[in-house]
Amino acid sequence: MDALLRDHLVSVVVFLPLAGAVLLLLLPRSAASAARNIAFGVSVLDLIVSVPLWTRFLVGVPGFQLRERIDWIPQLGITYNVGLDGISLLLVMLTTVLTPVSLLFSLTHVEKEVRGYSVAFLVLETGMLGSLVALDLALFYVFWEVMLVPMYFIIGIWGGPRRIYASMKFFLFTMSGSLLMFLAILFVAIRHHTATGAWSFALEDLTRMTFTGRVETYLFLAFALAFAIKVPVFPLHTWLPDAHTEAPTAGSIILAGVMLKLGAYGYLRFALPLFPDAAMRFAPWLGVLGVIGVIYGAMVAYAQHDMKRLVAYSSVSHLGLVVIGIGAFTTMSLSGSILQMVNHGLSTGALFLLVGVLYERRHTRELDAYGGIAAVVPVTTALFLIATLSSIGLPGLNGFVGEFTILLGTWLSPHRWWSAAAATGVILSAIYMLTLVQRVFWNPLVVEENRKLTDVRPSEFVAAATLVVLMVWIGVRPNDVLDRIRPAVESLQKSVAARQVALHESARPEISEVRR
Amino acid sequence: MTETFVSFTRADLAAIAPEIALVATGCLILLLEAFAPRLRRWFATVALAGVAASLWFLVQAPGGTTFGGRYETSSLTVLMGLFLGATAVVAILVAKPYLERTGEERGEFYALLLWGHTGVMLMTRGLDLLIVFIGLETLSLAFYVLAGFFRRVSASSEAGLKYFLTGAFGSAFTLYGIALLFGASAGTRFEDLSRPGLADSTAVTFGLLLLLVGFGFKMSLAPFHAWAPDVYQGMPTPAVAYLSVAPKGASVLVLFRVFGAVFEHGMPDRFRTGVAALAIFSMTLGNVVALAQRDAKRLLAYSGIAQMGYVTIALAVFGRDALAAVLVYFFAYLVSNAGAFAAVSALYPDETKPHPVGLLAGAGRTAPFPSAVLALCLFSLAGIPATAGFIGKFFLFKAALEQGLYALAVIGVLNSLVSIGYYLKVVYILYMREPIEGEAPPPLAPADRLALALCGAGILILGIFPASLWAIARQAAATLPLTGP
Repeated sequence: MDALLRDHLVSVVVFLPLAGAVLLLLLPRSAASAARNIAFGVSVLDLIVSVPLWTRFLVGVPGFQLRERIDWIPQLGITYNVGLDGISLLLVMLTTVLTPVSLLFSLTHVEKEVRGYSVAFLVLETGMLGSLVALDLALFYVFWEVMLVPMYFIIGIWGGPRRIYASMKFFLFTMSGSLLMFLAILFVAIRHHTATGAWSFALEDLTRMTFTGRVETYLFLAFALAFAIKVPVFPLHTWLPDAHTEAPTAGSIILAGVMLKLGAYGYLRFALPLFPDAAMRFAPWLGVLGVIGVIYGAMVAYAQHDMKRLVAYSSVSHLGLVVIGIGAFTTMSLSGSILQMVNHGLSTGALFLLVGVLYERRHTRELDAYGGIAAVVPVTTALFLIATLSSIGLPGLNGFVGEFTILLGTWLSPHRWWSAAAATGVILSAIYMLTLVQRVFWNPLVVEENRKLTDVRPSEFVAAATLVVLMVWIGVRPNDVLDRIRPAVESLQKSVAARQVALHESARPEISEVRR
Repeated sequence: MTETFVSFTRADLAAIAPEIALVATGCLILLLEAFAPRLRRWFATVALAGVAASLWFLVQAPGGTTFGGRYETSSLTVLMGLFLGATAVVAILVAKPYLERTGEERGEFYALLLWGHTGVMLMTRGLDLLIVFIGLETLSLAFYVLAGFFRRVSASSEAGLKYFLTGAFGSAFTLYGIALLFGASAGTRFEDLSRPGLADSTAVTFGLLLLLVGFGFKMSLAPFHAWAPDVYQGMPTPAVAYLSVAPKGASVLVLFRVFGAVFEHGMPDRFRTGVAALAIFSMTLGNVVALAQRDAKRLLAYSGIAQMGYVTIALAVFGRDALAAVLVYFFAYLVSNAGAFAAVSALYPDETKPHPVGLLAGAGRTAPFPSAVLALCLFSLAGIPATAGFIGKFFLFKAALEQGLYALAVIGVLNSLVSIGYYLKVVYILYMREPIEGEAPPPLAPADRLALALCGAGILILGIFPASLWAIARQAAATLPLTGP
């Protein structure tokens, strides 16, 4: 057992939820409360097991740590190849925190087909964790796609009234991007085989390949499309409001908290290092789409009457900021983007959770159905306010650090106006979020039913409070996180820069001749 | 030519022992039906024993060719034999409870299934166009009868007649193609086709095109697919589980053998273009039309048409890796497609009525196990990773990209996006609709449970640990004299 935890810690963290899911399948279908408790217990256990990832991770060391490698399809050089750098570490921790949080919320709020629900969540957790640690493109693709199936069921079975439409749209949108990425992965691996005579799908081997011109552009676009849909980058975001609104609360938490991040993560982990030249050529487009996303998302969010839809559009806006940071490609903006992914996971996760709390009591998410409930449900109000302040970037909370780092980092890049435009997005976010708080919690209490609202239950409080504690922690000690991100960001930038220099020297031999 | 056609040696007998075992078991069941009908509940067991015996003989048979170089025993035929045998096992397992529910459990069903199975075995092992043709006809005759097995149900009779008429039409094409090839090469053995210069002759080109049409019929490859939806709809579901998988695999292998013999130095481009066009047409037509289907068996028929389009990509790629990819693909297709038909058989209470998909509403709750396996099969057919279907597509598209057939691969994956539309529709009906009052699925029989468990396990095992099957398939594919990687 000790040896297993020592040498295969990452695998244990990834596959523990799957093992829990298999265990649940052995239970009788009627054992609802047992299934609930086992699923929650497994996710908490996974969180506990993942803590050593954080402590054993060596801060300041570039490259991947805690690696494991086993042959999987040896004839094609496909390996079970996993490891962590700062970026994946953070998102792994985010996943192992948010899954028990959402299952804790579900403990009291899911009645239908509890066993299936719990199985879906645990399989989903394995899928997400697997795609975050995979360093082999074939392995990554498997996890990446496997993730869709449980989420499809979570939205489609346990979702709201338009769940069928939303789940189908979610599946088809995501799939349409990733199928082309699948071909691109195959193509890159085949090129590697032709060039070196050896089969490999390992990221490290494939990043050594250089592609030029149109080929690189097509390959990059195939990858970028898959990730852009997932983020989602404007104008590919239309699946998101539907999926978020219709998903059950716990599903929204995971969807917004982790799955969207996988788009940005995949872009940083795979698209950028594999096709640096094309990525740099398209970076301005990415930044512009990010700016549009920030402002468009904010404006549409302001127009919503449904709380969940409002939070969903705020995600489009916030992830636009992350995209801008990636497009600007300075050390600071990239670090900020990665930090902001975590921040958004915490704050939006908490917002969806608390909207879920209200919804479970009143069965409506219309803003106008509430108003003036701050006195009735003081604890909910306090938690919601903290999450809101985190989301709009109040200093002292996590959101501020992330947004500020992105804006400053972008200002240092050649694209200053992105930073200026994005700053207006931050202001807009304060407007729509504070309006939301005002209309729901303050204003006069006019709907009589709201007088009977009950405050958070202990389990709901624990779930939300966990997230609040993390928001404060990152807000006060951001360097705990940033120190882990920086080496990963720097080595990413270094590898891209080195490849670009190599590419341009080989493309223009006469110039490098002169330099010598 | 001095050798006599009929010259049995001990080696010849050992080589055809698998087929003899199948025919003999079929005859035995027929005799039991006539003289000891009370033993009926053991017929399925006897049939399974027959298939097992035939597989045992197949593995035991000494390698090499027999019957004057006309009959092959190699790792390729053994692998194909395992594939066909496994399909037959699933079909027999599903058939028993199916026939019991319908009240039509008669020995003929198993006997015909085994004889048809014999025909398919001949197709995969024959190195002579005539043996292949005899196999094809044995298969067809048996399944013409099976299609019309429910004499009192008009849909079944219609299926029987339709299959007979179109099947005879297809066989005529095949036979005409064989005649042309015989005329050009003065022999019916595959190796006779490898004579230099033959590949350019018009007669051979026409002969090959006719064979493509003839076997295209058997594969239900568009535009030769029109029979499939109607026949699948009326034919007993267990027979469809066999017919929709095994003969298609055998047909593709025959095409690989014939093309491999003629095009020793690679497939000419104009031919490749034609095959690629066929692949694109079949994928697209199958997927688009499947979107509009409301009957489960018709939906699976169109899905099968599309799947054969994907397989035809490998025929256009041509070469050893392509053949190995096809072999893997067919194992994946076996567990997914036969599994899907097994689930359909287990989920519908009245076999003699149509099978509207809407009737499955809420089956995820009322019949959880068959529904779960059906969903798994559909995800596998759609090619979602961690299932066998993904592995099949993985090797197929890899082979296509390696040969530079980029457009074909892109059209292929876009098609699988379309296919998700109708596969997910069934999943949605299974899990996200409320059950219909008074339309409960029948209780799950043990044999059905076993068949479904085998297919489900196969999908996951192949999907997660494909390395050894790929190694075996590559080794098997290397026995064919194909050019290319």
